Amino acid sequence: MLTVEENVRVTRVGPGTPAGKMFRRYWWPLALSSELPEKDGAQLRVRILGEDLIAFRDSNGDVGLLDAYCPHRRAPMFFARNEECGLRCVYHGWKFDRHGDCVDMPSEPAGTTLQAKVKTLAYPCVEKGGVVWTYMGPKDKQPPEPDYEWTRAPASHRFVSKTFENCNYLQALEGGLDTAHSSFAHNNKLGARDNLRQHDKSPHLDVERTDYGYYYASTRKVDAGKYMRVYHFVMPAQQMRASIIGYEGTRNNPARLDGHIWVPIDDYTVHVYNIMAGPHPEDELELNAVEARETAAGRGKTDVIPGTFRLKRNQSNDYFIDRQMQKTKNFTGILGVNTQDFALQEGMGPICDRSKEFLGTSDKAIVAMRRILLEAIKTNEDGGDPRGLNPSIYSDIRAYDRVIPQDADWKEAMADDLKAKW
Amino acid sequence: MLTAAENERVTRVGPGTPCGNLLRRYWLPACLSSELPEPDGAPLRLRLLGEDLIAFRDSDGQLGLVDAYCPHRRAPLFFARNEECGLRCVYHGWKFDRAGNCVDMPSEPAGTTLQARVKLVAYPCFEQGGVVWAYMGPKDKEPPHPDYEWMRAPDSQRHVSKTFEGCNYLQGLEGGLDTAHSSFAHNNNLTSKNELRLRDKAPRIEVERTDYGYTYSSHRSLGDDGFYVRAYHYFMPTGQQRGHVRTWDGKMTAVPRNFGHIWVPIDDVTTWVYNIHYNCDPHVQLTPELIAEHEAEFGRAPEDIIAGTFRLKRNRSNDYMIDRAAQKTKTFTGIAGVNTQDFALQENMVQGNMEPICDRSKEFLGTSDKAIVAMRRLLLEAIAVVEAGGDPRGLNPASHRSVRAWDNIVPTGADWQSVLAPDLMTQW
Repeated sequence: MLTVEENVRVTRVGPGTPAGKMFRRYWWPLALSSELPEKDGAQLRVRILGEDLIAFRDSNGDVGLLDAYCPHRRAPMFFARNEECGLRCVYHGWKFDRHGDCVDMPSEPAGTTLQAKVKTLAYPCVEKGGVVWTYMGPKDKQPPEPDYEWTRAPASHRFVSKTFENCNYLQALEGGLDTAHSSFAHNNKLGARDNLRQHDKSPHLDVERTDYGYYYASTRKVDAGKYMRVYHFVMPAQQMRASIIGYEGTRNNPARLDGHIWVPIDDYTVHVYNIMAGPHPEDELELNAVEARETAAGRGKTDVIPGTFRLKRNQSNDYFIDRQMQKTKNFTGILGVNTQDFALQEGMGPICDRSKEFLGTSDKAIVAMRRILLEAIKTNEDGGDPRGLNPSIYSDIRAYDRVIPQDADWKEAMADDLKAKW
Repeated sequence: MLTAAENERVTRVGPGTPCGNLLRRYWLPACLSSELPEPDGAPLRLRLLGEDLIAFRDSDGQLGLVDAYCPHRRAPLFFARNEECGLRCVYHGWKFDRAGNCVDMPSEPAGTTLQARVKLVAYPCFEQGGVVWAYMGPKDKEPPHPDYEWMRAPDSQRHVSKTFEGCNYLQGLEGGLDTAHSSFAHNNNLTSKNELRLRDKAPRIEVERTDYGYTYSSHRSLGDDGFYVRAYHYFMPTGQQRGHVRTWDGKMTAVPRNFGHIWVPIDDVTTWVYNIHYNCDPHVQLTPELIAEHEAEFGRAPEDIIAGTFRLKRNRSNDYMIDRAAQKTKTFTGIAGVNTQDFALQENMVQGNMEPICDRSKEFLGTSDKAIVAMRRLLLEAIAVVEAGGDPRGLNPASHRSVRAWDNIVPTGADWQSVLAPDLMTQW
C-alpha cells in the first residue's frame, strides 16, 4: 500500500515533478532506430515524460530531439523541412540544428543579433541496440551512455519492438516484476499438469538490492527440484528476465533473454519497449522465431493496428475476451501474453489507486521496487545521485531461469548463468 | 429556483456527498435481470452513484454486486472468472464470493492469515419484477425490500426497459413529474384540436405529501365535458408513476395501464432510466403488441437503440435527428419519440462548464412547476434528515405498497378524489 501522497509522488512524471526530475537523470529510449529510417526523412512526433518533442535524423544520419514548437511563434516543427542538417520551420523559415542552435533566420534583416540569442530546446541522443536514447536532465549531470548486455548483442541475436499501453508506467512496471501472476493470468492451457508455473502457484521470493536496483529470485517447488527465475530491476524502469526454458521445463529454441523498458509518454500512457536477445551464439533470433514469439506475446504483425504501435485487442473492445475460451482453454479468455497484462493494467484505470490495495508475500518485489523509486526521488531532491547511473554496475548482468536440485543453493548454482556473455 | 449551493447539494451523488448518502439509504435498480441471463455468465460492468462495480450471477443463480477492482493490486474484476460461486481475479487467482469474502488466495503460501483479513466491497442484491436491486448504504440501516404494485404483477402483465440518459438524474426526474410540458413537447399532432392535453395547456396542480413522497393531480378543464385529471405518484427517492387510462384523444384504453420511471444516477452527469409499464386490470391481458407500440411511441423500439447498448440512436451527437420541416407542420419539437423529446430537452440543460447539470440558480418557476418544487423540497429535507442521523421518508414499503396512479375525466363539480379513489388502489 502507498499513501495517496506517495502514489502521486511516484506516478507523476511531468517536468518539475519529483519523479519527473529523478527520471530525467537517466537515458531513456525515445524511439526505435527503425522509426527514423533515413537521413532527412520525415520527422517523428515524440512525447516523453509529458514533453512534446520532435525527433529527426539529419543529413549526416545523426538523430536530434527538439521542442515540438518553434521558439519564434510556436509553430509546430512536425511540419518543418528536414534538410541540410537541420529542421527549418515552415512558418518563417527559421532553421535549427540538432543541438538547438538557430542556423538561419531568413525572415529577419541580415545580420540580426536575434539569431544568436534564439535557442530551441534540444536533448542529446545516442543510438544503441536498435534504440534511440535521449537524456532530458540537467546538462552538468549527464551520465555515461547506457550499456546493457542486450545493447551489445549482435543484431542477429537481438530484437526490440515497441507497444503503446494506455496507463501510467508504474502499474505496467509492477506487472513486469511480478512472477506470481504468470501462474494465473498467463495460464494458457487450463488443466495442463506439465506446466512448471502450475506446480507451485505461490512462489517464494528473495529480493536483493544492488547498486542498479535489485535482482530477485522466485523459487517454485517442482517435481525435478526448484524452478528458479532470476529477474533484474534496473533503474529506473527496466526489467530483465530469461526464457531459457519454457513452461514445460525444456530448453527453448532459441533460448531468450527477455525484458521490457517502460517509458512514460505522460502520466497516463506509456511506451513499452520489448527486448529479446539470444543468450548464446547458438540462439540466433531468426525472423520466424521472432514473429512466433511476438505473436504469442500478442503483438505479432497482424495483431497491431497498421502504422501504429497499438494493439487491435484493446480497451475499446475488451481485448476480444472470449468467455467460452475462458471457461475451457485459458485463464483469461484473452489471447496474447502481454495483451493479458494490458487488460489487467489498463483496466486498473489510468493511475492505480494504491491507497486501496492489500499486498501479500508474493508482492515483495513490487514493494521493493516502489521503495527504491521513492528513495531515489528523495536522494535526487536532496541533491544526490540516484542509483544506477553508471553502466559499470549493470553492464555485466543477465537474467536466467532453470530448474536446480532441491538442495542446491541457487546463488552458487546460477552464479555463472547470471553473468553477461556478450 | 435553487441557490447554487442547494443545487450542488441535491445533484451530486458520489460517495460521501449529502445526496449520495441519502440515495444510499434506499434500494435502487442496479440492472435488468435479463442483463445477467445465466449462472456463471459474463460479469457486467456497472457504475452506480459514481462507484464502479461489477455484477455477476453466481453458480447458484444468486447475484453479486462488488467493487470493480480486486483489493489485492486493483486489477479489474471485469475480466475475472465467474466460477464455483465466486469471481476469481485473473491477475493472481484471488477469489471472492458474492458477500465479498475471500474464499481462495492461491498466490500466497497455504495457511496465510491474509485471506481472512481481505474483503471485497460487496452490496446486497435481490431480484424482483425483472429488476436487480441493490442497497449501497450502511449495513445496519438496510431497509425492507421495496414492494411496488408492478413488482407483484405477473411477468406477462409487466414490461421493464432501460435507457441511458446523458445528464444528471434530477432534470430527468423533474421532467417525469411535470405534466404541463406534455401539452407542448409531446404534442405530436399539431393539427388536432381534440386531444385532452391540448384543450387546456395550463393545468392546475394539487400536491399532497405522503409517507412515500407525494401524490399529485393535474386538472385540465374540458369545458362541458368536465375535467381531465391525472393522478401521479412521486416515490422517494427518484420514482414516478402515472396512469394510462385515457388515450391522448380521450378514449378509454382497452388495457388500462400504469407507466413509470425510476432514474438511477450512474454518476453526476449520466443516468439510467428504468421504464416501467404494467397492466392494471387483472381481467385483461397486456400483449406484446401493446408493449411494442408503447416502446416505439416513446422512442425506444429495437430499431431506435444502438445495438448492444441502452443508448438511443437519436441522441445529442446528432441533435436527436430533429426534422425542422416536421416541426413546422407535424409535431411541436420535430423530434420523434416521446422520451426522446424529453432527452433532447434534459440532456442539453448544461452549466457554464458544459456539465449536463441544470443551473437552477438561473431559472424562473411558475404555478405549473408546483410538483417539481415539492419534489426538490422533499429531497433537500431528506438530505438534512439523513445528515442529522434520522430516517428519510419512503423506506418502509408499507407506505407505497397499495397505491397506483390513474387518469380519467371527472364531471364538473365532482370531488375528484372520491371519484378516483377506487382506481387508485392496487389490484395485484
